Order: sequence, then C-alpha cells, then structure tokens
Amino acid sequence: MNLSKWLPALALSGVAALGLMMLPAPGEAEPGANQSAEADISDYRILAMRRLTEAQYRNAIADIFGPDIRVSGRFEPIVRPIHELISSGASGAAISPSGLEQFDAIGRNIAAQVFGEGRRSRFTPCQPRDATQADPDCARAALAPLGRYLFRRPLTKAEEVFYVRLAGEAATPTGSFHKGLELALASMLVSPKFLYIIETGHPDPAHPGEMVLDGYARASRLSFMLWNSTPNETLLQAAESGKLNDPAMLTDRAQAMIASPRFEHGVRAFFADMLLFEKFDELSKDPVIFPYFNQEVAQALPEQTLRTITGHLLARNGDYRQLFTTRKTYMTRALGALYHVPVQQSNGWVPFEFSPEQDRSGLVGQAGFLALYSHSGRSSPTLRGRAIREVLMCQEVPNPPGNVNFTAVQDTANKSMPTARIRLTAHNTDPACTGCHLITDPPGLALERFDGIGAFRERENDAAIDPAGDMDGTRFTGGNGLGTALASSQDTTLCVANRALEYATGHPVKEEDAIVSLEKQFAESGYSIRALFLKVASAPDTYRVKSPAVEQVSTQASLRRR
Amino acid sequence: MRLTKLRLTAATVALGTLGIVAAIAPMVGGDTPVSAPAIGQADARKLPAPPPDGVMGFVVDSFVSPIVPGMDQCGGSTSPKLRDAYLASLPEAERIRLSRKENERELVGHWQASIFGPNGTNICSQPDMFDRPSIHTIQSQSGWGLDLDEGKAANDPELCVHDEFTSPAGERGIDNQEYRALGCILEFRGNDGNGGDQLVGMRQFFASGEWTQVILLRGVDSLENDPAVEVIYANTPDRPMADSMGKFLRGASFSISDKAPRHRNALTGRIENGVLTTTTQDIVLTQTWGQGGARDIRGNRSRFNFKRGKLRLAFQPDGSLTGMVGGYKPVFDPIQSPAIGGAGSALVAGIDCAAALGTLKRMADGLRDPKTGKCTGVSTAMRLTAIPAFVNDVPITAGQRSAAR
Repeated sequence: MNLSKWLPALALSGVAALGLMMLPAPGEAEPGANQSAEADISDYRILAMRRLTEAQYRNAIADIFGPDIRVSGRFEPIVRPIHELISSGASGAAISPSGLEQFDAIGRNIAAQVFGEGRRSRFTPCQPRDATQADPDCARAALAPLGRYLFRRPLTKAEEVFYVRLAGEAATPTGSFHKGLELALASMLVSPKFLYIIETGHPDPAHPGEMVLDGYARASRLSFMLWNSTPNETLLQAAESGKLNDPAMLTDRAQAMIASPRFEHGVRAFFADMLLFEKFDELSKDPVIFPYFNQEVAQALPEQTLRTITGHLLARNGDYRQLFTTRKTYMTRALGALYHVPVQQSNGWVPFEFSPEQDRSGLVGQAGFLALYSHSGRSSPTLRGRAIREVLMCQEVPNPPGNVNFTAVQDTANKSMPTARIRLTAHNTDPACTGCHLITDPPGLALERFDGIGAFRERENDAAIDPAGDMDGTRFTGGNGLGTALASSQDTTLCVANRALEYATGHPVKEEDAIVSLEKQFAESGYSIRALFLKVASAPDTYRVKSPAVEQVSTQASLRRR
Repeated sequence: MRLTKLRLTAATVALGTLGIVAAIAPMVGGDTPVSAPAIGQADARKLPAPPPDGVMGFVVDSFVSPIVPGMDQCGGSTSPKLRDAYLASLPEAERIRLSRKENERELVGHWQASIFGPNGTNICSQPDMFDRPSIHTIQSQSGWGLDLDEGKAANDPELCVHDEFTSPAGERGIDNQEYRALGCILEFRGNDGNGGDQLVGMRQFFASGEWTQVILLRGVDSLENDPAVEVIYANTPDRPMADSMGKFLRGASFSISDKAPRHRNALTGRIENGVLTTTTQDIVLTQTWGQGGARDIRGNRSRFNFKRGKLRLAFQPDGSLTGMVGGYKPVFDPIQSPAIGGAGSALVAGIDCAAALGTLKRMADGLRDPKTGKCTGVSTAMRLTAIPAFVNDVPITAGQRSAAR
C-alpha cells in the first residue's frame, strides 16, 4: 500500500487518528482486491482520494438511508484550486480538526435517526436476542450491508470485526443494542473511507507503467460523475462481478445511467462546479442601489441558470453551443420583477422565453452570471469579460498587479465619465493595465446594458450605453452578439470537454490530445452533453492513471482545433 | 398651522405665482411631489404610448384619505378628546376644580366612567346607544374627492342634499362628507394639520400586503383619449416587492383573486385628456385591520365599500397613475377601526366613537333608506397612486367562456 502521498494530508487534517486505525493492517487484503482476479493482490494501490463534497455527502445519505434523514450541520468547504474545478480541489482536500468535529456531529445525528425507534426496523434485518445487550451476529447483519454502501465496497474482515466489536462495547454501558449500532454507524460516518472516495487500482498489464482503477473505484467514479451520489446496488454488484472492467459492459452501464432522470443531478453538479457556483454563497449587493436584489432573488439566480442548462441540454437534448444563444429559461415571481417580465404563476418556476429585443442570450444574458460578475454596487465589464474568458472558455487571465490605481473605474458618479466604457478607457491609459483589459473588457462591455444585478438599462448617468463588443477579432453588439460569438467559438466546446474530463478524473487534464479528441467526438454528436459524458464515462483513459506527478495544464489557446 | 404657512411661503417663492395651492395640496396624503399635477389631472408632459396589446397593469402603492392640510381647515384646532370634552361639558367651577393636578385621579375616573353605559356597553362598541354632542367638523369649503352626484342630489331619490367642496385644484361639486365629518379629529388631521395616525396606519396596513390592490386596464388605445376601456380593480393575495425603505417596486407580477375575502370589480371607463374615469358602479375591496389572529381585534377583516363608486385616475409620464376612488359608504364604516378596538379606543386614545357616528349620521348624503327616508351613508374618497406592474386576471372558467358565447 502506497500511503506516502496521502499521509501528510491525513496527518495535517487530524483525520489520521481516526483514519489510519481503520485502514487494513499491512499484508491484509486491500478493499478492492477480494473480488478481482485481474492482478496480484500485492499490486493493489490507493491511486487517489477525493473528499466528498457537501452535495455528494447529502445525496449519499439520502440514497442509503432515505430522503427523510435530516443532515444538519456546517460542512467545511473544499477550496477550489486556481483555474481548476472543485473536483480537483477535492483530490487534495484535508479536513481540519473543527471540520472533523462537524462531521462527527453530523454523523452522530444521522446515526441517531437511523437507529432511532421509528426507523431502526428498516436497517436491522434481525431481532437481537436481548435488546439491552450486545448481539454480535445481529450487529454484523445490520452493519455489514450499511458499511458496504458507505465505503462503496464490502467491508474487509478486519473492518467488520472492528465495527461489530464497537457496537458490542457500546451496547453494554448504554444497555441498548441499538445504541451500540448507532455508535458503530457514527464511527463509519466519520471514517475517511466514507468521507473520501478512495480509488484503488493495480498495474495495467496492457500498458506497462500505468495503473487502472479496480471495479469498485470505477463504480464510484461513474456514480459520482453521472449522478453525484454514491454507487447503488446495481453498480456495486457490477463492480463485484467484474463487469465494470469490461469496456462494453461499462459503456452499457454508463448509457443506462445517462438515460436515467438522475443524470440531471450529475449535470447540475458538474455545471455548478464549472461555473463557480460557490461564489453565489457570498453574493451581496447594495440594497439602496439595487432594490430588486433580495434574498429570494439571490437564491433563485443559480437555480435559474441550472434550470436553463438542464432544460436545454437534457429536456430538449440541445446543442451545447446554443446554451449561449438560447432565450428559453425559467422564471419566478421574484426574478420576474428583476427582469421586468410578467410571470403568471404566484409560486414556483414557470418556463419563459425572452424576446429578441430583450438582448438576453443564453447563460451570459442571465442575471445570475451578470450579478455574480459585478461589484456590489456597480457592473463590471472587466469581471464579466474575465469570467467569459476563464470560466466559459478556459482561458487564463493574469491577476492585476498589486499597485493598480482604480480611482477612475470606481468613480461611477463622475458626470464627466458617465459610462463604464469611458471610465475604463481612462483607466487603461496606464500601460500596466492595458494588456489584460484588452482581453477582458471588449467582451464584457457588450453586457453593459445590464446593471450590477443584471437588470436591463439603456443609460448610465443619463448617458446612452454603447453595447459594442469584440472578442478575438469578432465584433458584435450587446448580449445577443456576445452569445453568438461564444457559440461560434471552439474554445467554449473545448473548455467544456476539458472540464468534463477533469470532473471525472479529479485532476486537470494534461493530455492535450485527449481533450482535442474528446471535443471532436463531442462535435460529431451534435454537441450533446449526454454524448460527451458517455464518451468520458466509457473511455478507458478515464480509469487509467499514468503518473502521480502533477504537470502544468496547457492553456486553452493551444488546444484550438488543429 | 404655522408650519403649513411656512411651507406655502417657501413653495410660493419656488413656484412663483402659478397655481400655488393646486400644486402644493397633492403632497398631503401621498408621496406625490409638490411639482406633480393636481389629482385627476394628467401631467401636461408627454404621456407614454400605450402597449401594443392595449393591456396595462398597476399595483396600488398608496391608498389614503386625502386631506387639505392646515389646522385652519378646522378653525384652529382638532376636535377635543373625551377627557377634554368631558371637562368642557362641566360648569366652570367644577371644570376648574377637576383641572387641578391633585384632582387628576378623580377627573380620570369621571370621564372614563362616562364612556360606559348599561350592561357593559361602551361608546365605541355600541356607539349608537349613546347620545353625544357632535365633534368639530371641517370649516373650510376646500376638500378633495370626486363629484359623485354630478350636482343632481336634489333629484336623486338615493341621495340627500348637502354642502359640496371645491378641490384645491379648482374642481367644483366635490362630495366627501366623511372628510367633512371626521377631518378634524386628531387621528385624521394630526398635530400639525398634515395627517394623523389614520394616515400612518393606512400606509402601514397597505404595506403589509394583506390587501394589496391592483388595476388592470384592457383595450387601451390611447392614454390621451379613449372612449371605452375595460377596468378591473381588484385585490391580490400577492405581497408587493418593496425596497429597503418600504417603497413598492415596479414591474412585479400579481394575480387577481376573487375568492373571499378578496374582491374583483369589473368596471368600464373612458379616457379624456389623459384622465381615466369609470362609470358609476359599486366597488368593494378587502380591508384588514392590522395583522393578527381571528380572535384578535387586529387581523379583523372588513371591507371598503364604495357604493355608486367610481375611479378617476390620471396617467403620468412616468407610467404611474394618480387619482381617487370614491363612493358612498355606510355611516358606520368610517369608525370601524375604533369600534373594533372597543372600550380601549375610548380609554386609551380618547376617541368618541358615538359623537363621530352621530356627526356622520347628521352629514349623511347617500344610501337613503326607503323605509325611513333618511340617508345612511356618507360620500367618501381615497387618494391612490399606482405603479406599473404585471397583473394576471383570474382564469376564465369553461362555464364563463360558454356563457360569454
């Protein structure tokens, strides 16, 4: 077992004490080894560990124990590496002592619900001989299946013995068999084997020097990638029988999962990660300047974007590129006021289509994007342009130098510089600023007819707003023009292909050829998101690990179709 | 009063000699700035074009009793409270004795005892069981409202002849006997003559969103002149969006409800010179007295009754509407709030509900009872402003559709 890569993270996080004692003793069969004959047991390695995101944790608990189990507590956030996905951050995410305390409290609360009087019969397939005493056989019958779902593989013999013993030792002082089960379950829920997706594998005989994931790791990768939740019984059985090591069978399973309504959860999670939705948690606006922005609106903004995405890509099986031009979306009453459009229904979401005159094209025309990439009191062509470049096109924009003089752009009340375009022009007289602003501002300025919360306006400080934009030599006007330009740019499709691979594997993709090839297949499918994820989920490379060394990811520019 | 004069003076300086009174008056009872036109007058500035489909929606953002400001409207002071009215009713020597500080407890005992009648009755819960002297009434001929009887009260069997106001904007024949009767009580006029607790209370009730009003216009071809416009004036259960100062926001969506306790009034109207006027018709709107449970006096539901009512609303260049809704209401309606409050209204706020009701009866000018021949209602008006909104009418049922065919 090669733990050297993970030891520092575990030790720093405070997980070590809990985690390492639970790992199999040296020489004991590895978790993934007892069901596979494809490689020698001694060759099994931990290839990667990815911390569950909050959504994955919640989905897993709901899938295993039922949606009626309350998961209450604060989750320590996973830090997003610069220019990467949170999925990549999860691969290096530690848990602080206070974060572990939170997981402990959450886990104890869940365990108390599961083995409380109302639900315990659902999870205890046997009657203890004496409900006030330990019963190892009955405890094993209850804990082993739960452990299999939580750890996403069968418990090892040592693990089974440990948790049964734990349940027994707790039953005696508490005088309750079920209290014993509760403690054992709480212990499982705070184990790194639950909190982390531990991907194990072995050397690939077909590709010397490379490792491939075993069946259970493949099951987890498929499940979290496509459904953003823990593997279900079908996947675990497929892993156990070795079917997931067969490319054809794996493809069949992936196809079935993508055809399932649960794929929407996966698509939502992917785009929430790609589009930096964690920024919505800290979105705030000046209520005096933006009276239409309130808590209801703030909560509806990311949901509107996700509904637009799933409605276009899944419900209508749309072309990914049209996500930048579609005028179809969904609306609530609170959002309707911001957009100044009628909403028939008092509560909930209703389908809505903007008119061409409203200049709202696709994702960049939605208030979610426009508000997220603005300041609290004003719009920002620079932030919007940078987000277009970095988030939607995977192009890296350098950070501004530390000594920038922002006086001109912040002086929004200056009547001599009434519009953002004029203020930015003044700001860009500084040569240190010009380089980056030439990259960010031209596309961002096309969205200037939308204020800091994405409400439409035609004038700023009584001056007409010029919505002319420019991106990589393509000139356009307004949000519709920008949407068309984005839809026409190969960088957007390369970017989503790149992100899909990163999302699946948990690390930035270094192989340019893999991205280009994937994007080509994406194009052949008519830019279907289902086809993209099927390609990623069924590609052998998705389950192969070449080298643990981290290399710099190339910028998107070099990946344009060659 | 002095404050009002100062304000007039400042406005006079600012506006020169042009229509000073007319320009200033609308600021009372609404958020309309001094420079706005008088109620019922369209702004001379260019009105916006009507929408292509002729449908316009509004949410009412202000709904208050209009008053002409100034204490001089009431002869210099508001109507005395119960304590002072009791003292005034005494012989001079006794009045002087009870006015001494050391006799305050005795005075309180006496005047508070005067509000109760036999069998636990009191002047606010059972005001018609008490015979009280009239309260002070409006002494001026200036008042806001609508010309409800169009000068034909003498020939109308349902109406009673009465004095009429001339509005500060110069409109003659204004019928507003509720204002004439109650316009000088402290709750109506306030300490400074610019509006009292009733004004503040109405704003608070309205801001609660419990009886939000919306207006839906259909068939609007011109905001200047249109001989036929369909007008739906109704309640909605939807709470308006408001800014951090509580001001309603434009562009929100509302759904009309005609389910109790809410009401939907279908009216017809015409637009002349930018002013929409509806034909005479009963108008009913819901009203909630504060927010509270069914057993609480707050939360008690009642209605705005505008018998033989009409709307007169002026289109404004910013897309809003300003104007009045008026009609006749039963004489008891204006004192609903203190009556619901019962003895507390008299003991705590010193309101003489019986005197108010007696005065309203004396000034009744509408809703003549055919049996008694007496008028049982007073003319009334509420000033309203409405801002653009998206208003969804109640869905037409299959039965209604086939009936329409």
